[in-house]
Amino acid sequence: MNCHELQDHYELYALGLAEEPERSEIRAHLNRKCEVCMPGVKRALEAAVLVGTTVPDAAPSRKLRGRILASVGAEPRRAVWSTLWAAATALLILLAVLFARRDWADRRDMAQFTRAFNDAAEDARVQRAEVARLTEAFTILNGPDTKEAVFGGARPRPARGKVFLNPSQGVLLIASNLPQTPAGKLYEMWVIPKAGKPVAAGMFQSNTDGSAMHVRPGTVDIQATGAIAVTVEDQAGADQPTTTPLIMAPVEASPR
Amino acid sequence: MLLPLFLALRAISGDGDLIERLQKRDPQALAELYDRYGRQVFSIIFRVVRDSAIAEDLVQETFLRVWNRVQGLDAERGSVGAWLLTVARNRAIDYLRSTAGRERNSLDVEETTHPALFCDMEQGLLASDKTRRVKAAMEKLTANQRTAMQLAYFEGLSQTEMAERMGQPLGTVKTWVRTALKSLRDELGVAVTS
Repeated sequence: MNCHELQDHYELYALGLAEEPERSEIRAHLNRKCEVCMPGVKRALEAAVLVGTTVPDAAPSRKLRGRILASVGAEPRRAVWSTLWAAATALLILLAVLFARRDWADRRDMAQFTRAFNDAAEDARVQRAEVARLTEAFTILNGPDTKEAVFGGARPRPARGKVFLNPSQGVLLIASNLPQTPAGKLYEMWVIPKAGKPVAAGMFQSNTDGSAMHVRPGTVDIQATGAIAVTVEDQAGADQPTTTPLIMAPVEASPR
Repeated sequence: MLLPLFLALRAISGDGDLIERLQKRDPQALAELYDRYGRQVFSIIFRVVRDSAIAEDLVQETFLRVWNRVQGLDAERGSVGAWLLTVARNRAIDYLRSTAGRERNSLDVEETTHPALFCDMEQGLLASDKTRRVKAAMEKLTANQRTAMQLAYFEGLSQTEMAERMGQPLGTVKTWVRTALKSLRDELGVAVTS
């Protein structure tokens, strides 16, 4: 097809909606840097971008900026500062109360202080662990060689989400709509090779809203992996799946 | 009060320096990119997926995608804002398609986010008068034309899918889409030679 015949399809192409054979034809013209189609499609892309600016203004949460910066490694410094800040705040509160009530010398009150301080330290430890976990997750998400697999896409329930596999960083599972496990049970993730037995990839619990994020750090052979699955198992974990997988995300070889 | 003016002036000043710093993996440049375009990116994605939590996840993916692929963008001639908004819209449509189990895969939208396509675009496009003109053009469309455009842009429906959704013959929908696109072209001053 010549450029003249394709001109009415530039906008649809720009929106990812052109149909065959026009789509392939436009692509071919672009690949050979056609002097008519290239600027035509660019103008169509400009128009598409401008249509996007007509949407009602909406504001994301304030946390999103930090999340995005954290995902490229800029956040850990802030996280360390926030942890130090939390610890310093706890210490200041402790000192302030100590100075305000010097007569608080009896052991019971001191024990309360000690507990409060220990609680603050525990909060800081939990926060550090969560930061480390998120850093692992974002390292996988951020990897240019990370592969992505989707599960439960066509069904809104019971579980849906994505799995990200990075050959050097590990496997990240993000899920929603997970039902609460029965008492004494947890979710267990499995890396299922194309040939061979499933390999356990860690236990996790969903949040009360049914969401979950689980990371299995380490290397993973993506080419040899057929799927990522999740089953409900005893808290101690299982060597092999004992229940029907709640999640089964086939892993394809194509990049994300 | 001066903030919108400041942002507009900054957008008009171009993206060259910002692209160079992104290519040097400067996290502060990513922060600046977010401050400059984050709200627009979120607004577009939120309009498509209509769920703020999902929209925020997709905004994050969008910025990571641009961060990881910015080396392919021409620092002198590239338009990072237009590229970012295109990636955002496509990522959101891709999400809709995957959750709806629609056959069309991400390749359709991926090929329109190649950085080479975002060179030599109008500097300060997003702060230009064209945004107002496009809005005016959209408002002038008939209800059916506007619906068709919205289904195309914000739901990623093909013309066949639009016809099914709207319960109209395919030929009728194609006419609406063609007329609406021509209106936009005319409003933006793009010569129509066909």
